[in-house]
Amino acid sequence: MLVAEGLVGGYGGADILKGVSIKVDPGEIVVIIGPNGAGKSTVMKAVFGLVEPRQGRVTFAGADITRLATEQRVRRGMSYVPQERNIFVSLSVHENLEMGAFVRNTVPRAAYDRVYALFPPLAEKRRQAAGELSGGQRQMLAVGRALMVEPKLLMLDEPTAGLSPRAMDEIFACIRAINREGVSLLMVEQNAKRALALAHRGYVLSTGENRFADTGAALLANREVAESFLGGVG
Amino acid sequence: MELGGLLLYGVSLVTFAGIFAIITLGLNLNWGMSGLFNVGIAGFFAVGAYVSSILTAPPSGGEHLGGFELPVPVGLVAAMVMAAAVAWAVGRVCLRLRSDYLAIATIGIAEILRLFARNEQSITGGAFGIKGIPRPFESMSRAWSEAAFMLLVLALMGAVYLFMERARVSPWGRVMRAIRDNETAAAAMGKNIEAFRLQAFVIGSSFMGLGGALTAHYLKVLTPEATEPLIATFLVWVMLIAGGSGNNKGAMLGALVVWLLWTATELVAGQMPIEWGVRIGYARMFLVGLLLVFVLQRFPGGLLPEQAPKLVDKQR
Amino acid sequence: MIEFINNYFLPGLILGSIYALGAIGVSMIYSILRFAHFAHGDLMTFGAYLAYAVVVALGWPPLAALPFALIGTSLTALAIDRFAYRPFRKSRPIVVVIASFGVALMIRAAVMLIWGVQPEPYVTGIQAPLASFEPLRMQEKHLVILGTTIVLVAALHLMLTRTKMGKAMRAMSDDADLARVTGIGTERVVAWTWVVGAVLAAAAGVLTGIDTQIKYTLGWDLLLPLFAAAILGGLGRPYGAILGGYVIGIVEELSSYPLFGDDPLISPGYKTGIAFAVMVLMLIWRPQGLLRGKVL
Repeated sequence: MLVAEGLVGGYGGADILKGVSIKVDPGEIVVIIGPNGAGKSTVMKAVFGLVEPRQGRVTFAGADITRLATEQRVRRGMSYVPQERNIFVSLSVHENLEMGAFVRNTVPRAAYDRVYALFPPLAEKRRQAAGELSGGQRQMLAVGRALMVEPKLLMLDEPTAGLSPRAMDEIFACIRAINREGVSLLMVEQNAKRALALAHRGYVLSTGENRFADTGAALLANREVAESFLGGVG
Repeated sequence: MELGGLLLYGVSLVTFAGIFAIITLGLNLNWGMSGLFNVGIAGFFAVGAYVSSILTAPPSGGEHLGGFELPVPVGLVAAMVMAAAVAWAVGRVCLRLRSDYLAIATIGIAEILRLFARNEQSITGGAFGIKGIPRPFESMSRAWSEAAFMLLVLALMGAVYLFMERARVSPWGRVMRAIRDNETAAAAMGKNIEAFRLQAFVIGSSFMGLGGALTAHYLKVLTPEATEPLIATFLVWVMLIAGGSGNNKGAMLGALVVWLLWTATELVAGQMPIEWGVRIGYARMFLVGLLLVFVLQRFPGGLLPEQAPKLVDKQR
Repeated sequence: MIEFINNYFLPGLILGSIYALGAIGVSMIYSILRFAHFAHGDLMTFGAYLAYAVVVALGWPPLAALPFALIGTSLTALAIDRFAYRPFRKSRPIVVVIASFGVALMIRAAVMLIWGVQPEPYVTGIQAPLASFEPLRMQEKHLVILGTTIVLVAALHLMLTRTKMGKAMRAMSDDADLARVTGIGTERVVAWTWVVGAVLAAAAGVLTGIDTQIKYTLGWDLLLPLFAAAILGGLGRPYGAILGGYVIGIVEELSSYPLFGDDPLISPGYKTGIAFAVMVLMLIWRPQGLLRGKVL
């Protein structure tokens, strides 16, 4: 469904990505792990159009979207949750969700209900300003906002960053639940071990290049991966 | 126009262009080199103009503060010092504000200063201003007097330019550019950001004060209208942006080119039928605005963009 | 007491209303487009003169001419954005601020070219104060000004809280990058921001004309108080801008009150400096404003 080939680029000056390729098939959870500075977030941003790659191609559902504007990618069924600053703090919880569905002309009640069902704490606080939520609740809102457009592919940039262990568990459970509903997921995660256990497939990036790519289980079992990238992290 | 008249006109043109070049170089120090968004040029211009006038003018019979009749050089130096002092006070308070805010604050300061000039009649002569300001070399015959003053202005401009060039290539200049481009990195290097910025602000503003003083001496009369921000602030900004912000030669070139264009429109206005006369002035204003927007779009770097700094230190 | 209300407080409310309407636009443009719009005052002037043109041509009262001013100024603002500001969307904010200087000059010069530099009243002749409000010396025009302000502010509130575009404007004001990521059509939000800003600015200009008279420096003279009010209230907070506008308007009028003895507290020649002093104090003491808006 999503194919990114040979991405080269960065934020203007030096190239962070030196030729990265990833793909996500329908129904999969795909995880990108690697050390800091490897380009994990940059890959996602390039896929979503926040960073323009100097070289390479991005295809989604068969169509070349390499130069497509972000708004159009959302319309085609891609949704992205940034790592930080991922909610509108002065809008209420419900209004945040409403904005998530901006590209849709009509938004059925069911779309809201689905998010509130996945994240019950949000339902209680739906009229409250998003800025008043706790860290875990904010993350839920950020993911919920991205779901409002009923995406085919949901992209999450370090969804468990800065969360308590319990909130982390909840997020991972939600990710599983979302995937069961048929949404494909592409995730960057610092919490490599848990993410790989959850994922169908994973990519290990290092200094802007692909290092390893395999199923989640295989990567976990891979000794080199375990020593270099999983030891001591998460 | 016969040759003599034409030459005199040319001298006047160059004199004003030179004065504006000094002011634009001051703005280049503020904005081009240091990234300080000073939109209060008219205020420092006014301080310089009034200080020099008050110190050098003959007694006025109580119309305004004055009668000291000090020599012109004293007036010029005092103008620079007072403008620097005002800039220091303003800078201490306002420089830590981010760019947009600094712009608004400096506009406000300039307004207050001009209000002061208009209201405090006993000091500044209010709306009537100050008359009889001495001009250097005025005892000579007209042509020589004008030429001599022009040469004085050009000499001062040259001095300011040399100063600015030395500053630009010096370690001080490198630090200023570093602060301008990446404040956090500069702070991490241990540089006292506030002190550097204050220096750039104060010195640049003192040049603006010098420009104001020279204008007052040239015109021999000073009223609040002479400090009208349209010319004293906005035209100078156009000069710097069009000439090349960050480039000292660009600043001077911009001053010359824009001043030529400005006076050209005045000449054209003079040829128009009388009824049109005033309206041409408004059309000129329109053109200045249009020019600014146009130049920003087509020549974001200006006629002479900022030169990349030499990467190798000569002393190494 | 009554004299206090008639001569100081009421004029403060009127001035505050005008400041409030202008400041909302400045505040929203700052938070959504990320720059200080130096041509905003001249948009007010333009709106005032558009209404004047209708008043002169058709003989209508200024309030009836208001819709023309609102529409005309909105279209002008959209055109200005398209040609003078949009090319700079990706540049440093300073560049577009300088561009707005240029635009301000162009609007002012156009006004001077078309209508000249003589101050003009909308209606010549004396306006009789309404007797039924004695001892309050309130005139019909004051009711018009206050009433129009209330209607516009209420309409704005409804837009921001009930409409999708209004919420999108609040969202983009919060975080423009996230708005883009969410799929909000940012150029559409920008267009609506200009419309809202222009409508309020034009209204403020016309109301100024109704209060006194119009002249080509109408808006430029008010620019500093507008920025002061927007900063006072907190950039990006429309309600803050309203609060800021009224505070500064009332303080300005009160400043000439002879608190100690017979002379005004602050000499009228410096009245325009008050807004500036308030603003600088705010910037030093509490840059996020009273209602905690954006600091930069």
